[in-house]
Amino acid sequence: MILDAHGHVGTWPDFLIPDPTAEGLVATMDRLGVTAVGISHLLAVGPDAERGNRLAQEVAARHPGRFGVWQVYNPHHRTPLVTDGVWGVKLHPDVHQCRLDDPRYERVWRLGLPVLAHGQTDSPWSDPAQFATVAARHPDVPLLMGHTGLWPNGFARAARLVADHPSVHLEVCGSKSTGRWIARLVELAGAGRVVFGTDACFLDMRLGFGRLALAPLSDADRALVQGGNLARLLGKGLP
Amino acid sequence: MPKLIVDAHRLAGPVPFDDLPVDPRPDLDRLGIDRALVTHTLSLYSDAEVGNDALFALSDPRLEPVPVVVPGVPGACTPATPAAVRAWGARMVRLCPERHRFDLTGPIALRWLAALRDGATEGDAGPGRPPVVAVDLDETSPAQLRTLADRLPGQRILVLNPGYRRLRALAELMAEAPDVWVEIGTVNTQGGVEWLAERFGAERLVFGTGAPVADDCGPRFLLDHLDLTPHETDLIAAGSLAALLGDRR
Repeated sequence: MILDAHGHVGTWPDFLIPDPTAEGLVATMDRLGVTAVGISHLLAVGPDAERGNRLAQEVAARHPGRFGVWQVYNPHHRTPLVTDGVWGVKLHPDVHQCRLDDPRYERVWRLGLPVLAHGQTDSPWSDPAQFATVAARHPDVPLLMGHTGLWPNGFARAARLVADHPSVHLEVCGSKSTGRWIARLVELAGAGRVVFGTDACFLDMRLGFGRLALAPLSDADRALVQGGNLARLLGKGLP
Repeated sequence: MPKLIVDAHRLAGPVPFDDLPVDPRPDLDRLGIDRALVTHTLSLYSDAEVGNDALFALSDPRLEPVPVVVPGVPGACTPATPAAVRAWGARMVRLCPERHRFDLTGPIALRWLAALRDGATEGDAGPGRPPVVAVDLDETSPAQLRTLADRLPGQRILVLNPGYRRLRALAELMAEAPDVWVEIGTVNTQGGVEWLAERFGAERLVFGTGAPVADDCGPRFLLDHLDLTPHETDLIAAGSLAALLGDRR
């Protein structure tokens, strides 16, 4: 089972996404053999989390079994959250300009669902050190560090910072990542702590998938990264 | 799978910020990449001349040298003259205006490139066709490249590392400057390569990675999964680059 932990649908203002559709993603997933992808709608990451979350749910309903929903929580708008029919909660501290360790996220941690948060080394909003802080406060909440901190010069530090926080997993999507770095993260953190993601449609799913498919990994490790770990984290939450 | 795969953007040598393979050949073998155009990292992160010397010393037909040129006044340039560039016989040279702090569209760089293009330099020992100029988009801007193309009609330019966030500006550049080609390795957004191919043709897109600093696994995988015809994929994998270089081999 191949599970993409980090996906999106919709458009984004900073740049052109030639194919922002769910249907485009499904076609790519079919070609690559990806079972399901967890998505947040980019409208939800942006200014309207409530409406964007509804759109993500509609996408998931149109394609049963292919999309899990990461419902976006905007701490400024106190977005309503649900506990059923979703993979968990998506946080984007940088877009929302609210630090990951800010108390305004308390509602999210109390929900107990898995959380996927954007992570960015040296960002005042989402530096990997904040993942360690939050994990120490809420050790029972599965937490995915999106992009493993985004910048290659911070990957090893990110792995080190959360080494003693087993609830934190390193999600590997990002335009600066490499197959070599995925293999290094498996070596540094253990294959059980690394989770595959692509950031599609923001990024091209084929590039993210290929980065893992051609990374110098053993078959057993690759199987954990590309789906085994996320399946374990989601448990019955899988679509 | 493409018939032939050539990476138009590869590095050899050490980098100061990571522990990466200095020899690209094992990764080329592992990923099924037949050949590569290579720049030496010493030219980027140390001394351009020393790096170029190390590059030529590789002397492997699988690794085609892309030496670095630093246009400038005497004493501030590499190599000493445009004639020396042509004497290399390189089919592609790389300019790094940001890293080497020169003005890509300033009078000196334009004079150097004009001298290369026109073959007007006395004592020219290079090939009949002037070298392609490769520039990393992070070292310049689409507007500056458009100016370069306007000022030097016929100069073939390969845009390295175009990324995905400037797709609109890149498209404008390709629309306005027919002698601009684009490396696809970092055209990362969903369907971005097909979007460019539909508008400008696969014959203007070139497989390249920027490895080992940038990723080679994803771009190599993408080549096998493009939503294009086999002919278009073959062009991107190697054919467009051969045409860009004026392949007479």
